[in-house]
Amino acid sequence: MTTVTAPPAEAPPRRGAPEWPARLGYGTAGFALLVAGWYGAYLLGLVADGLLPRPDEVAVAAWRRLTGQGLLTDLRISVTRVVIGVALGSALAVPAGFLLAWYRPVRLMFGPLVGFFRALPPIALVPLVIVYFGIGETARISILAYAAFFVSVVVVHEGVASIEPIYIKAARSLGATEPEVFRRCVLPLVVPQFLVAVRVALGVSWATLVAAELVAAHRGLGAVIQNAGDFMRVPDVYVGIVLIGAVALVMDQLLKAAMGRATRWQERTGG
Amino acid sequence: MSEAIGFRNVRKSFRRRGGELPVIDGADFALARGEFVSVLGPSGCGKSTLLNMAAGFETADSGEVLAGGAPVTGPDHTRGVVFQQYAVFPWLTVADNIAFGLRLAACGIPRDRHAAIVERYIGLMGLRGFENAYPKELSGGMRQRVAIARAYAPGPELLLMDEPFAALDAQTRESMQELLHDIQLTERRTVMLITHSVEEALFLSHRVVVMTPRPSRVSEIVPVGIPFPRTPETRLSPEFIGLRRRLEELLRGLSAAQASTPKEGRAA
Repeated sequence: MTTVTAPPAEAPPRRGAPEWPARLGYGTAGFALLVAGWYGAYLLGLVADGLLPRPDEVAVAAWRRLTGQGLLTDLRISVTRVVIGVALGSALAVPAGFLLAWYRPVRLMFGPLVGFFRALPPIALVPLVIVYFGIGETARISILAYAAFFVSVVVVHEGVASIEPIYIKAARSLGATEPEVFRRCVLPLVVPQFLVAVRVALGVSWATLVAAELVAAHRGLGAVIQNAGDFMRVPDVYVGIVLIGAVALVMDQLLKAAMGRATRWQERTGG
Repeated sequence: MSEAIGFRNVRKSFRRRGGELPVIDGADFALARGEFVSVLGPSGCGKSTLLNMAAGFETADSGEVLAGGAPVTGPDHTRGVVFQQYAVFPWLTVADNIAFGLRLAACGIPRDRHAAIVERYIGLMGLRGFENAYPKELSGGMRQRVAIARAYAPGPELLLMDEPFAALDAQTRESMQELLHDIQLTERRTVMLITHSVEEALFLSHRVVVMTPRPSRVSEIVPVGIPFPRTPETRLSPEFIGLRRRLEELLRGLSAAQASTPKEGRAA
């Protein structure tokens, strides 16, 4: 073996991993297919007349609501609720997941409890939350935080539990104390799992939020859908649906970008 | 010479289904400061258990493990470990791996000296140009160099190496032995090396401790009288070959004795 002095070459792009223009192209093509299929379904009359609007009708409705009816406010309100809920829930999930994975008595005592609460769909708690918190922002955000927490805590727990003990041993042999092991080994190793947890929590929270807004809210994308539905304004229902999907997609892409940055050190397959 | 690490009549069993499995049945030897000692023995004889007790990962059932005269109670920064598996931290660059121990509260080396120390070991271990590489970009041999540098950097008095080159190919292995030999010429730390390679033990050590099969005790302690520095030619010298033949025969005899002993038949 020779002593190599040259720095390692930049890793070549992996085969099959398109760079961003190609990525964007493929992604757009996927949506174009969806829109084409939508027009197809409309033209073939697969759905009774008047119940399936054309995509351009939806676009017009979106424009009308954007300019005249404060759609942006609804969007902002929903996004804020989701972001705060997920941030609270998943931030609390990190210490909780760590404690569950690290200390056997904690796991034995609280593991089943987590399983119990995790099984309850957050929507089922809406009536109770209304009883205790009323129908204000606290009520909605606490439901979202609940949903995000129980999704994340399992992922964080698994992430911490699957850390190779050799790294912990190595850190201890270098003199690391328990807090140092946590900060310098456990945290960096859990970051990738944590971001996965946040991605999953975001998905669950959007679903929960819309359901919560359908029931009890005046503003927000769920309320937009509900109100439009009450008046049989089908294009407006589609506006709400498309917007929710679009915002969730953007958030997911942002998180994926953060993940790529935070997990540069990892070997991974399948982008 | 004062003692760096000592085993005093150490015994250790592991609990298995259906009873106790005695692993170490009376280890009694010590390493003087600055001494390089290899522990050699048939596989499964509990060599790594000895190292784990010296590191503080495991405790003896009876007897004592003393580091600098004081009983070992847990792992700490005065006894560095190089593991057989690649235990370099995958989330840190080469330089940050080497600096890991320096940055811990226990180390006590002032912060403004860290960069120079890291730089020194980068040079000694032939890692220049790889300072900012992540372990995934390195070969097995390079990763093990990082692991060795990381263990030396905070300046532990004792280094415990658990078959550090076992996973490497033969050529890399030899060059790593020479690298470790050269580092020891300048660093002169106390090293306890666990290995199953007679050649590796002879090339690097002042003395070789030969263990019997499980439940194992010290069979023989063989001084290697060959002066340092040693070179690749040393491996071909009559003295080296003679010692090598003697140790190989000793190990063969121990394995044969194990094979002919019924499993439960422990000599009283």
